Parts: sequence; structure tokens; C-alpha cells
Amino acid sequence: MFKNYLKVALRNIWKNKVFSLINVIGLSIGLSAALVIGAMIYYDFTFDKFHQEGDRIYRVTSEFTSAEGNFYNSGVCTPLAEALKTAATGIEMVSPFFTNAPYRVENREMDKVFMEPRNVIYTDGDYFKIFNYNWLFGDGKTVLSGPNEVVLSENRVKKYFPGIAPNKVVGKMLVYNDTVPVKVTGIVKKFEDRSDLIFEEFISIRTLGTEGIQQMIGDNWNSTSSASQLFIKLEKNAAVVPIQKLLEDLAREHRDKEDLVYNQGRIFHLQPLNDLHFNTDYGTFDYNRSQASKPVLISLACVALFLLLLGCINFINLNTAQATQRAKEIGIRKTLGSSRKQLVFQFLGETFLLTMAATLVSLFLSSWLLRLFADFMPEGIGFGLFGSPVLIVGIIMLLLALTFLSGFYPALVLSYFKPVSVLKNQILPGNDKGSLRKYLTVFQFMIAQVFIIATLLVGKQIHFLMTQDMGFKTSAIAYVQTPYNERSMDQKLRFEAGLKAIPEIQTVALGGNPPASRSTNSRGVIYRDGEKEIYSELQLLFGNSEYQKVYRLKLLAGRLPLNDTIHEYVINSTFMKNLGFKEPQEAIGKRLGEGKSSYAIVGVMADFYQRSLRTNIKPMALIGDWSRDQYSQFDTFHMVLGDDASTWAAAMESIEKVWKSVYPEYDFDPRFMDDTVKRFYEQERKTSVLLQWATGLAILISCMGLLGLVIHTTERRTKEIGIRKVLGASLVQLNLLLCKEFLILVGIAFAIAVPLAWWGLNNWLQDFAYKTDLSWWIFLLSGIVMLLIALAIISVRTMVAANANPIKSLKTE
Amino acid sequence: MILQLKNIFKWVQQGGQRVFLLKDINLEVAEGEFISIMGPSGSGKSTLLNVIGMLDDFNEGEYNFLNESVHTLKEKHRANLYKQYIGFVFQAYHLIDELTVYENLEMPLLYKKHSGSERKAMVADMLDRFNIVGKKDLFPAQLSGGQQQLVGVARALIAKPKLILADEPTGNLNSKQGQEIMALFKELNKEGVTIIQVTHSEKNAEYGKRIIHLLDGRQLKHAG
Ligand SMILES: Nc1ncnc2c1ncn2[C@@H]1O[C@H](COP(=O)(O)OP(=O)(O)OP(=O)(O)O)[C@@H](O)[C@H]1O
Ligand SMILES: [Mg+2]
Repeated sequence: MFKNYLKVALRNIWKNKVFSLINVIGLSIGLSAALVIGAMIYYDFTFDKFHQEGDRIYRVTSEFTSAEGNFYNSGVCTPLAEALKTAATGIEMVSPFFTNAPYRVENREMDKVFMEPRNVIYTDGDYFKIFNYNWLFGDGKTVLSGPNEVVLSENRVKKYFPGIAPNKVVGKMLVYNDTVPVKVTGIVKKFEDRSDLIFEEFISIRTLGTEGIQQMIGDNWNSTSSASQLFIKLEKNAAVVPIQKLLEDLAREHRDKEDLVYNQGRIFHLQPLNDLHFNTDYGTFDYNRSQASKPVLISLACVALFLLLLGCINFINLNTAQATQRAKEIGIRKTLGSSRKQLVFQFLGETFLLTMAATLVSLFLSSWLLRLFADFMPEGIGFGLFGSPVLIVGIIMLLLALTFLSGFYPALVLSYFKPVSVLKNQILPGNDKGSLRKYLTVFQFMIAQVFIIATLLVGKQIHFLMTQDMGFKTSAIAYVQTPYNERSMDQKLRFEAGLKAIPEIQTVALGGNPPASRSTNSRGVIYRDGEKEIYSELQLLFGNSEYQKVYRLKLLAGRLPLNDTIHEYVINSTFMKNLGFKEPQEAIGKRLGEGKSSYAIVGVMADFYQRSLRTNIKPMALIGDWSRDQYSQFDTFHMVLGDDASTWAAAMESIEKVWKSVYPEYDFDPRFMDDTVKRFYEQERKTSVLLQWATGLAILISCMGLLGLVIHTTERRTKEIGIRKVLGASLVQLNLLLCKEFLILVGIAFAIAVPLAWWGLNNWLQDFAYKTDLSWWIFLLSGIVMLLIALAIISVRTMVAANANPIKSLKTE
Repeated sequence: MILQLKNIFKWVQQGGQRVFLLKDINLEVAEGEFISIMGPSGSGKSTLLNVIGMLDDFNEGEYNFLNESVHTLKEKHRANLYKQYIGFVFQAYHLIDELTVYENLEMPLLYKKHSGSERKAMVADMLDRFNIVGKKDLFPAQLSGGQQQLVGVARALIAKPKLILADEPTGNLNSKQGQEIMALFKELNKEGVTIIQVTHSEKNAEYGKRIIHLLDGRQLKHAG
């Protein structure tokens, strides 16, 4: 039986090569997208799933509430750990850790120095009780209990002690930050499974001492640093609610008086371990990688789903369209004793063969796609993921689901034929089935249409963002940050002198971050005007007098600060308006702050965008290096290069030479302001590329389906075309006749797609503070694009049909 | 008695009116009979044959087949009944184009769950009997009309039915080919197979032991 089915199936597939090909290609495109996206989703959802009792592990985080909105911090104030240890029942383990890395590691014995090691934490032994590491040497139960101990990962051992066997490394010394000697007491393996706990070096927290902690992090209830974090593990069967309650109580008990005044508050949250990977409020520990985002994954999954659906629709449409051709076989089989069930299985089997073929094709396609999109995806995603049992089972399930989805309806339709009517050649293509096909085609084109509109609009928005004047000069500006640990002014001055000697550099400024950047520095300030009191969060921009020239910041009134360290504000006009001034001139001379720390506003500058155009312009002030004695904020050099870009390479080389002479130990990492601005829109550009692909594929699949239907219709209507032609219809008339049917469908799809797309894109645009218009011409253009594509596809085929010699077609009928 | 039709009516609704396709048909067929149905085009011959073959419904009357009352049976039972006892031969042969002669012959057996070796033997038997061993790997399109109908008859016979229904089996054949098929039917009938055929040719009708005449869906009484 099976063999018989298989034979018929293969011969049928072969006989209808074009349709089979359309089906397989359409499905395999959808499937490849699904496989790639599935791999991405699988990858991101399998982080930190392997920890024993991982569902009992939480990170404690802070949320600050205020009138201006809520702010999130992945850290907690340091006393919280101790409070939890003593007060709480239901908590099995409390492990605080600090993520401030030392800036220098030295292996004195071998005379090796390593700068700015990454993935280092200060923690205590409980960390290793919460998380089970594989110990190569040392004992996870007692380690890190004393000061001056460190546990290294296998990789770190290789790096710090090259050529020494790991068992000899235990007991050896490292020196941190020139002065702190630390003994290696354990070696662990990094987690082999996917994990966000990427730490490689664990220094005992007691090494810092209370004083160290106080200096580095602060040790009171009111200072929160994201570097001071806390993991806890609950007891078995312990409820979360009472612990949450305890955290609330602690927050209330230690509430700052000022917070009360300004109606600000703090909430401690228990963040489950499996939330770590996705929660962008708190982030992970790997700052090099943009965080996985559930909304992005969900929209990707939707894209995959749509593409799969489109492929399935082709299948359904083409198979039901061909029903008449299969009808005879069905009738015969039925009179010979086949039951309906057997027929359904037969047709499902045929579909299965095709989906199998599509799956094989898509495995190749997706391995290619994975390589193509390597830039878009985290490093760990590759074809190798498909070896995991979960994904294999997933693919098989998908295969079965697809078979069912695309094969079941045609099988039902086909097997429903009554043998007698089939054999009497009575089945006219039933009206109801024809209309389902129409609905599905409309659905296909609607999706393709929505994709086209979205692509156009996202492209327009990106163009708008990138070409929008930021309000300051962004072209031909490079900046370089001096090493974090080399803060001496002398070095900076030497570097500046070196820069000024380079002829390609027109202006050099010293300051903090550029006017627009990802990192911000802000503080709360109070402005008193008689009885009125205005409290505001003020972003600070640090720069000397040249800074304003480099970036061409426009001064609306007043002047720049008199020198680098004098305490004077140059505020932006947003802040000026917030303070209640209409004219810039009115703000000059007013003072911000109270008592000893109140300083004058000496200038007002024009607004500019401090970040991407997604965010609103915030109150801001340009100030000098006020606390140069304790901590200089001037750590970045900003340079104006000539307008001729061809000279920049040479300029950069000269700058690097100067750098190497002043900071020989550090890497030279210059940036261009243009690139920085571009990077703000990385997410949008990724979205755009993705959309372009999705659109292309959606159009491709839909048009293949359309082509199939057109072929089918024209074949069915060959006789009619012949007769009409003999009766004198012109080519154009014939074409019109044949196209009309399909163009109406495309038109309906457009009518449905427009409001859908409008609604979706309007939502998307809400994320941006500054947005392009949802212009009508986008919709019109996309409609025309779709129409032209459909018309091209249709007329290729109808031309052939209309051109055919009528005598021939009539004869063969 | 193999089957009995009592007061069978069949009609379709057309423009609010009943158009009768069969009117008050009464027929008893004994085992081993060879019946020819005749009548002008459009008189309802095919319709009657399809009703007998249970491929088509009727609206009124009783139909008993081997002591089962067909009109009360469910679709599935009915399918089982004709699957087991009835073989069809069609004017247009109705072979499956995608299968070879051998596979076409094998197909009814597949639906009846015969074992592989059994099927092989039965198909070989039929090929032998109809002298088409040499054609077994050809597709229907590669055969002449007569040969195709030969295969059609062979296929109808292979599952050893009690009753063969043939709707103008020679309609597409030349007279010599037609004679051959008729001779075959006669032989089969001798072996005990009941046959009901529809035909337009007086000569072919003579092969039957009884002739039923239809006119406008009604049976002409005098025949015999
Ligand atoms: N589903 C139907 N709806 C309406 N009329 C039908 C239907 N099926 C058959 N008829 C009509 O019933 C009549 C009998 O048809 P049938 O096919 O039985 O004729 P026939 O005797 O086999 O003719 P022929 O010798 O040409 O094959 C015809 O007039 C036909 O038009
Ligand atoms: Mg007929």
C-alpha cells in the first residue's frame, strides 16, 4: 500500500514539476527563516537553565521611583546583604559581589603585567554555594572565606601563568593594583552551558576590607552602585512574598529624608535567575553585547510564522486548484474501495514528502543564512545548535505541523469528491473552494503589502533620524578617551601639546563625553525663585572653552565659564524654559543650588540632541572641571579634523604616535562623532535590514503562489481564450480579462493592509521622541510596487496564453 | 437473488421543480444473470447503474443487496459492501494514469489488505488470463483503447466480485475490440459472475439473457 502511495506521490510530484517546485521553494524559504529564528530563540532562552535549584536563585535589584519616572539599578546598597543575612527566614544563602574590576594584575614571579582584566568580581564563598562550579583545584566549601584569596578560571590560569601546570598554580601569588597581594586558592572551569555568569576571576570580598568597600562603593543605605550586586538563594519551598515584604520593610526603614521631601522612593526587587538574560532594566554582566530582547524575539517569531504561513498557503492554494486533475484518480480509487480516510492519508503523505524535501533544502539554506547574518547574532548561534535534541524534536514537530496545516485541507477537499460525479466529469471547480483560495491569496498579499509599507516607513524614519541636524557639529570630529587609571593632568597636557603640533588637527578641546553619547552624568539641582522652588535632574556636560568651538554649540546669551575650574553654568534652553524664563537673557546671573554650593548661570546655549532622537531633549548644563583636585571630569580629547576626509588616516597615525609616547601601556581607541551618532540607531538599522529580508521573502513566496495560480487558471481557460480569440478579442483585451481576477485580489489585500500597517507603524513610531510623518505617499508607493510586481508576474504567463494559437488549444480540448 | 430494487425514484430539484431521473424502477437480479440495459441517450441508464453500484443515491424506494437493505446503510457500510462484491468497468476505462498496468491491477487488492505474495500471484494470474503480460510495465497512455479496456475489465475482476457493472464498456472501441470484450463477459458469466451492462448496440445487448429498456427514467414493461 505504502509503496503504491509513494509511487503515485512521486510520479505526481514529478508530473507537476512547476507546482511542486513552487511549493517546496515557498515552504523552504519559510522554514529556513523559522529555523534561523528558532535557533536564535532557543539560544537566548537556554541561558542559565542548568543550575541546580536555579528557580530558587534571585538577584536583588533596586528601582527608584520619582515624579520624573522610574530608574532601575542592577545593584543594591551594600548594607542590605548583612540585613538579609540576619533578619530573613526562608533565605538559604546571601552572596554579595562587586563588579568593579581592578585595573592592573601582576604576576611578579614571572614579571608579567596585565591591564584592565575583565569579568572580575569580588565575592565570598557563598557565591560558590549558590552556583555549582566544576572545581579543578581547591574546595568550593571553604574557599574565599579569608582576605587576599582569588579563584581563577582555567583560562585565566593559562593567561596569568603561561606554561605552568594548573596544579602548581594553586598557592602562587598575584598582585592587584600594585599593592594588594592575593593568593590563588582555587581553579574552576567556566560554565560549559550557556550562562550570563561570565566571571573568570573571583577575589575574596574581605580583601577589600570595610574601608575599601566604603571608598569604592559606599557603605550606607543611601548610596547605590550598580557594581554592588547581590545574589540570594531561597530555602526549599520558601515563599517569595514574605521576603518581598521584608525587602519593602527594609526600604521603608532606611528611607532617606530627602527622598521623603521630593516624594521619591526605592523598591527592592527579587529578579529570578531566568529573567537575567532578558531584563533590559538591569542588564547582564557582559557589556560588550547588546542584551537579548524578548519583544525582538517575539517579532522575529512572528516574521517566521508569517513566512511559514505564506508557504503553507501556496500549498493549499495550488493543491486545491489542481484538484480537478486529481479528481479522476480519486474517483477510481473510491470505486475500487478506498475509504475517505485512506485518501486523506494518501494526500497527507504526499504533502509530507514535499515538506520533507523543503526541510532538507531549508537546512542548507539556514546554514547559509546563519553565516550571512553572523553580524546580527550573538556568537554562540550557529548551525551546531541544530544538533541539540530539543531543536531536532522541534524541527520534526514543525515538519508534522506543516504537513498537517498545508495538507489537511486539500486532502479533505480532494477526498470529498463523490466517485460518481468525478467519473461523470461533473466536478466543476466548486465555488466555495475557489473563494477560500481567494481569501488565502488576499491574506498572502496583505502580509506582503504590510511588510512593504513597514520597510518603506522604517527606512524613512532612519533616514530622518540620520539626517536630522543634531544641533551641533558631528562631521570631521574625532575624540579619544584617556585611560581611566591615568588621571594626571600633566600627562593630559603633554598629550594636548602633542595633538596641537599635528597640522591636520584644527582645534583641540579637553572635556568629558561628547555632546551626544550613551553615558550621561546628571545631578539633581534646586532653583529658588522667591517662594517658588524648582527641583530638576540636570545633565552635565564637561568641557573647556575650546569644547564649545569644536562642536559649534550655539551660545544664545551670556558667555562661557571664565576658566576650566570656575563654578559656572551654561544651561541649555530646555532647562532655561523649565526654570520659567522666556528669554535667555533673563536667566543670566541667576543662581542654581543653595547656600555654599549655589553657583551662577553665566550663559545659555541652544538645545541639541543629547542622545538619539528617540529621547527628548533633557535639561543640561555645560560646566568646567569643578572637582579637578579629587576627580577630574576632563578625560576626553575632542579634535576637529580638516573637511578633507582623505587626510584623516594620516592624522590618526600621527595622533596614535603621540598617544604611544604619553600612554605607552594602553590601546589607542579613537572614535568619530559621526559613527557614534550612527551607533545610536543600530537597533533601527537592524530592524530595517531584517524587514527588508522579510519583505523580500514574503513577496517572493506570495508571487510564486500567484504565479502558480495564474498558470493554473490560464491552463483551465485555454479553451475559453481560444474561443474568444477566434471571435476577435485583442491581445490587450485578453490580458485584461485574465489579469482582472488577480488584480482585484491584490487590490483587496491593499485595502486591508493599509489600516493594519498604519496602526502598527504608528505604534512603532511612538517609541521616538522625534518622528517622520506617516505620509500617504508611502502607502501609495507600496501599493504601486505591489501592483507592478503582481502585474509583471501575471502578464508573463497570460501573454503566453493569449498569444497561443487558438486552433491548437481548441483541437486538444 | 443478488439484488432487488423496489419502486426506486430519483430526482433533482431544478428551478423549483422536480426533474425525475428515475421513475418507479423495479428490478430483481438473480445470481448468475447477464442483463443488458438499453435506451436512448439521456434515458437514465448510467444513473440506474450508478444507483445499483451504490455510487449514487436515490430519493425513494427500497434497495436490497444480498439481504442487506442498502437504503438504510451508512455510507461506510455501503462502501464496504460494494468494495467487496462489485467490480466496475467504465466506458472511459478510468485507469490511473500515473500507475503502470501492473500497479493498476494491484490497486483494488491493496484496499482489501491482501498480503504481498498473494497480490503478486493474483496480478500475475490476471495478466496471464488476459494475455497482457508483456504490457505490465507500460502506462495507460501507452496502450490502445482496446488494451486499456482489457486492463479495466481485468481490474474489475481481480478482486473476484460477485457482480460486474459495465457502463458502455465497448463505447470507445471498434467493433472487433468490442466483440472481444463481449466474448470475455460471456465467458465470465459462464463461470458464475453476475453481469449488468449498459449498451447502445443491439448486437452487444444480445449477449445478455435479459434486456431492460429505459425511456425517460421509466422502465418499459414488456421487455424480457
Ligand atoms: N446531477 C444531475 N442534475 C440534473 N440532471 C441530471 C443529473 N445527472 C443526470 N442528469 C440527467 O439525467 C438524465 C439521465 O442521465 P444518464 O447519464 O443516466 O443518461 P444515459 O441514459 O446514461 O445517457 P447516455 O446514453 O448518453 O450515456 C439526463 O437527461 C441528464 O441530463
Ligand atoms: Mg450514460
